[in-house]
Amino acid sequence: MSLRDNRTHLYDFHLKHGKLVLFAGFKMPVWYKGIIQEHLAVRNGVGIFDVSHMGRVQITGREAKDFLNYVTTNDVSELTPMSAQYSTMCNEQGGIKDDFVVSRLEEEKFFMVYNASNRAKNFKWLKEQSKNFDVKVEDVSDEIAMFAVQGPKAEQTLQKVSSEDLSKVGRFKCTWTKIAGEEGFASRTGYTGEDGFEVFIWNTPLSNPEKALKAWEAILEAGKEFAIEPCGLGARDTLRLEAGMCLYGNDIDEQTTPLEARISFVVKFHKKDFIGKEALLKQNEQGLKRKRVGLTVLERGIPRPRQEVFKNGQRIGEVTSGTFSPFLKKGIAMAYVSSEHAQEGTQVSIKIRDKHVKAEIVKLPFYQRRGSEKVILYGKEYKIEEAKSLIPELKV
Amino acid sequence: MSTSYIVPNDLYYSKEHEWLRIEGDHVVIGITDYAQRSLHEIVFVELPNVGKKVRQMETIGTVESVKAVSEIYTPASGEIIEINEKLAKSPEIVNKDPYCEGWIAKLRPANLKEDLKKLMTAEEYEKYLKKIGEGK
Repeated sequence: MSLRDNRTHLYDFHLKHGKLVLFAGFKMPVWYKGIIQEHLAVRNGVGIFDVSHMGRVQITGREAKDFLNYVTTNDVSELTPMSAQYSTMCNEQGGIKDDFVVSRLEEEKFFMVYNASNRAKNFKWLKEQSKNFDVKVEDVSDEIAMFAVQGPKAEQTLQKVSSEDLSKVGRFKCTWTKIAGEEGFASRTGYTGEDGFEVFIWNTPLSNPEKALKAWEAILEAGKEFAIEPCGLGARDTLRLEAGMCLYGNDIDEQTTPLEARISFVVKFHKKDFIGKEALLKQNEQGLKRKRVGLTVLERGIPRPRQEVFKNGQRIGEVTSGTFSPFLKKGIAMAYVSSEHAQEGTQVSIKIRDKHVKAEIVKLPFYQRRGSEKVILYGKEYKIEEAKSLIPELKV
Repeated sequence: MSTSYIVPNDLYYSKEHEWLRIEGDHVVIGITDYAQRSLHEIVFVELPNVGKKVRQMETIGTVESVKAVSEIYTPASGEIIEINEKLAKSPEIVNKDPYCEGWIAKLRPANLKEDLKKLMTAEEYEKYLKKIGEGK
């Protein structure tokens, strides 16, 4: 049996310039020049990622809002047209089926972008749950190409090829715009902890990828003066980890609730009813047994998923994501630990193969940019000039 | 991407992509050009302790890139007599020069004649790499 691996519109570009891996059934670049270089390009300038492998659905109809408020945990009635929110869908037990960004295009039209690894599962779930609503759920993944343009120079880069004034598009806002002459859509969202946009080239079927390639190359050209780099999944993962963002399958799954993952801001208990509400309310009242925390390694060593976390010789949890941080130049991780040990500043150890390596629980995010003048380091806000003395790799 | 790798003539090679060089009464070991290029951007090397007695193909440390962890298997049995301390601060040396500056450890071999029988010559290793490449 030979099933062909899925490809995005930019497969030929990736094959020519990148090191390919199989991810969620797609042949995708893990890096082009190298994870570290690509990571730093995004932190200090701009990078572009092909994320066309992600799932995209359009939800239209008279009851679109009510349907989404039932199936997701956040409140879409807070969204005015052309704005977006981070959210989750849960099962009846409150376990996360997926996390995603949902945008409101019109009063009765929404657009959802979710993880590639959950495409089939999510679409089936949305279809099932939509039966009692006057709503249409369409998978438009294969008709739209999607890129993330991220970094402090993202707006300046994208502006050069965009027909709309992007400075007027605030965080978690969106706009219809031409991108390199092609019909498109841009939202000020991302998965890197930097300012930036996710851009969508509309009406671009996989069978006819030219428009996507044209837009991709126009953005690369526009970003040249800021030393733009095409970035692969490797840098995408290290950037989101530094930014303290969850990766589905690692840090969250159907056995984890948004409360344990400490993304409770996406759970709106004031809503009349939503899938998982009862279970989450109960967990909220009873208190959490475990919580997601950030860890920095205090000695030599790089934490990796599934390694155990100890406190005074007692096992208190497990690492769910871990890497060498290209920006902070040390081992960082996310872990779930029992709530009584989740306090910031707690000294723990991570069992890395046969050694116990000292680590400390820190406030998330490890690093994120906040506007044009501030950054957050270990959960604390600094002026950029101040932060430069703490992070030698921070240049812009 | 190019798939030709540097394989010096005077070394012995393991299937796990370590090399061994005989230098008088001791041997030097490291990882091959293929290994360092597969890992890409090495950011961490965990070295064995000097004095440790090891058996051929036992794990003696790890080489890590941002994303991947790769174990180092010793191509020879014996006692570790020196480690490349420079790699603690500058692991990227293994990428730049895997066969010289980027050596991992020196061993006083215990059973070299027998161990060498289980290793490949440069010619055999090149054939082996070709076979792996075709399997992809």
